[in-house]
Amino acid sequence: MGTGTNGELKYEISQNAYIKLVLHSLRHKTAAVNGVLVGRISPNDEGVVEISDSVPLFHSNLPLLPPLEISLIMIEQHYVAQGLSVVGYFHANQRFDDVEVSGVAKNIGDHISRYFPHAPILLLNNKKLEALSQGKDRSPVMQVCILMLRAVRLVAAGTGGSGSLCVRDASKNWRVVGADGGSKLLLKEPSANVVLSDYISSEKWKDVIDFDEHLDDLTKDWLNPGLFN
Amino acid sequence: MVTKTEERELNQLENQVENGGGGVWEYLYLVRKLKVRRSEIVLKHGLSILNDSGKRSALGPDEWILYEQVAMAAMDCQSLAVAQNCIKVLQKKFPESKRVGKLEALLIEAKGMWEEAEKAYSILLEDNPLDQVIHKRKVAMAKAQGKPSLAIEHLNKYLEVFMADHDAWRELAEIYVSLQMYKQAAFCYEELILSQPTLPLYHLAYADVLYTIGGLENLIAARKYYAATIDLTGGKCTRALLGICLCGSAISQLSRGRNKEDKDMAAQELESLAATALEKEYKQKSPAKLNLLSSALRSLKLS
Repeated sequence: MGTGTNGELKYEISQNAYIKLVLHSLRHKTAAVNGVLVGRISPNDEGVVEISDSVPLFHSNLPLLPPLEISLIMIEQHYVAQGLSVVGYFHANQRFDDVEVSGVAKNIGDHISRYFPHAPILLLNNKKLEALSQGKDRSPVMQVCILMLRAVRLVAAGTGGSGSLCVRDASKNWRVVGADGGSKLLLKEPSANVVLSDYISSEKWKDVIDFDEHLDDLTKDWLNPGLFN
Repeated sequence: MVTKTEERELNQLENQVENGGGGVWEYLYLVRKLKVRRSEIVLKHGLSILNDSGKRSALGPDEWILYEQVAMAAMDCQSLAVAQNCIKVLQKKFPESKRVGKLEALLIEAKGMWEEAEKAYSILLEDNPLDQVIHKRKVAMAKAQGKPSLAIEHLNKYLEVFMADHDAWRELAEIYVSLQMYKQAAFCYEELILSQPTLPLYHLAYADVLYTIGGLENLIAARKYYAATIDLTGGKCTRALLGICLCGSAISQLSRGRNKEDKDMAAQELESLAATALEKEYKQKSPAKLNLLSSALRSLKLS
């Protein structure tokens, strides 16, 4: 996969994909939650991965394989018809001040990057989320972790990175890249945080359905159609 | 654990309460009885009763139970000032009470003052060394501080004494799973199945863990436990039905080229029955996803 004009790979996340994931983690405040990112390499710029949608997965027993396997199969099959695929992974830790990339996040990230190299792991940044209501921060409330290949050292550039990127180097370690200047994660719609704050005030998170709930009640739709209507 | 009926009743009451339809006291009572965690709603509505002196006095002696319930909900929502006020009222009414003492220690814990909380709990334990709630607080504190091994240590010690506490075994299993210590989690579920063999939840969880550990023997065992779950739930458990299909696929992948044919003919029939049952369920409840399910099942057969 190529890199952008300045040699860096960027991830652009759509408002809906972004908000859905954050709302999902707010719905299950006391648990770790995860989800997958859906999208494709931008047809206009090889150096940009467009994350156009997301699917919230689980809020319990994240490291168990069977529900994960079945969800990935179904999600891939659904989106392939739209020319999209699973391009990354989202994870929110259980504890407020836990900023580590857990074992399960790394494992799932590894798996996804086998099919989509350069797949990022997005980690929810709780402190930024908390500060959302106070500030006018327009950067995403997530840290980005990416897989780094041996020789290429991607530099985190950019300004006001609310996201930290996790980069995997040759020893297969996902590392959170400190937000030193740059963010590889861009919000496609600049006002996404404003919309997110609105939804939080109106407790929209109550409406988010994840795969866990679908498995317990098939009538619940993990595609969340109509969530943002 | 809460049954589906109980959960439905609770959610109905909750909807009613949230939409101004009354029934707050019944809701609060049910939350207490089922021991569920609905702190934000409890705090909101419990507090509105407590702040209204007319409603409060109408409760009679139940007033103090409500103060306790609201205090705990407040702590869960980090409304520590509210919690402090409730506890003050209880302290005035019941000075020297151990039950209030527990709330005080809980408040210290909620503030994140771990060492002081540790001390407070130790003092309480001196008077009552068999207080299960306090022992569990120690586990909770270890978890909150991000010390899962310490939580495991405490929980194991607890289970040596209170080995019939199923919730504790489940908690331990879930901590192990979160640390990807699957074999240890499996042991916990084995204990649970031994003590409550008719609860499908444990068979299902055990099967999931076995599948995750992997290997032919574990997959075959997992399939048996998924089958048990289906049996115990009258065929209604989607997760178990999917589990059967996943196992079938994984087993055939592993035994391919090993000349070890899956000699269990019943298993193959089981798989196709599971697939049929799944398609029926999806047709009925989620018809838009039926195609997805069918192609997923097909891809499992091919892999």
